[in-house]
Amino acid sequence: MPKIKMPRSTPALDMTPMVDLAFLLVTFFMLTSSFRAPEPVILDPPSSTTELQIPKQVFLIMIDEEGRTFVDITNNAVKAKVVKQMLNQFKAPGMTEEDMKKFAGVGPVGLSVREFQGFVDMEAGERNGYTQKGVPYDTAASKLKNSELYYWAYFTKIEAHNDYKQREEEAKLRNMEFDKSNYIQVAVKAASNAKYNTVQHVIQVLREARIKEFQMITGLESAPE
Amino acid sequence: MAEIQQGGGGNDGGKKRAKKQSTRVDMTPLVDLAFLLLTFFVLTSTFSKPKVLRMIFPEKLDKNDPLVKQPEVKNGLTIILTANNRIFHYSGGLKNETQIEETDYTKNGLRKVLIERNRPLIEELKLLQEEMSKIPEGDTAKKNAVERKVKEATNKSNLVILVKHDKDATYENIIDVMDEFLITQVAKYFIVEEDLAPLEKKKIDEKLKS
Repeated sequence: MPKIKMPRSTPALDMTPMVDLAFLLVTFFMLTSSFRAPEPVILDPPSSTTELQIPKQVFLIMIDEEGRTFVDITNNAVKAKVVKQMLNQFKAPGMTEEDMKKFAGVGPVGLSVREFQGFVDMEAGERNGYTQKGVPYDTAASKLKNSELYYWAYFTKIEAHNDYKQREEEAKLRNMEFDKSNYIQVAVKAASNAKYNTVQHVIQVLREARIKEFQMITGLESAPE
Repeated sequence: MAEIQQGGGGNDGGKKRAKKQSTRVDMTPLVDLAFLLLTFFVLTSTFSKPKVLRMIFPEKLDKNDPLVKQPEVKNGLTIILTANNRIFHYSGGLKNETQIEETDYTKNGLRKVLIERNRPLIEELKLLQEEMSKIPEGDTAKKNAVERKVKEATNKSNLVILVKHDKDATYENIIDVMDEFLITQVAKYFIVEEDLAPLEKKKIDEKLKS
């Protein structure tokens, strides 16, 4: 009896469509993703059913459960200007323009003015390990207006307004439509288990700087019927 | 491409042909790389932007200013947030005989209370919404008229809610309550910054102990 020979074949699979798809997805994610800035604390905000989107540009205040506050301004140019004002106000040793720009790019910070220079000089890895004590603020009624947190809010408000005016004028000069949605708004991101009293103290300080509207950042929750 | 190469069996008498050289490239490393990148971007990208709950605080007013009037509250509800996510409420002004009731953050707790109290406004807004949906696309004048009515209705609403909290209430509690207001369309509410009044504190302490 003749043996039946099985035909030998190489299981070659055409991978071209798969590669096409994979690269399509890679391109999509590359173009749509925005990288999360490294955050000094991980906060778990409460959830709500609201559908309002976070504004494009924000002055972000983070409050953790121990009451430490961290601030950030999504517009780095404005942040650098605020940092400069802060240094002036608290008579801290000046920083070079370059260092200020670098400082503006490191994400949320919870530092006192005097720590700014030291923080910029650190290596990136060293920065992550550095325990930040939070932007100082005082809750005593007479001192609400003296704290560093107050001045962060105060200068941000001024610089945000200047920035807005400047861009409006530029748009006018170039005869372009002006995008009003880029105005810097105040957003608060606080931990779910932070005491409301702490959040309230921070809000009181900010209200001294004539900030009335706050966008409280929340996680998403499905809406009820 | 994924064909099975034939040959080997039979066909002995055929001519010998020059073997065709395959022009195929091994794509496995390419695929590996593509998927590696894909995984990286999927994991690092922040997709949904966070949502925000808007809080607006009034200007600070001087209580001694004669122009500053205390609002007259006809249909008042006070909500008190305390430790361990417990929540109490009572109607009107607080007197010795006022009963403070306890509720919770679930659908059948606080939401039910709010819907009951806010029924007139909810129903009015529902009617207006139906009216709105009937307006043909592009009729802005009519739309504006209905929007004005919505504003009037919310302004007229006489339910005023005061949210008080003691030192143990968490931020999550406040956001939850505000969210309930949003869901039940409560038009007027205030978050009270001052501590609880002595009588309130006494009554709440009794409740917490029992």
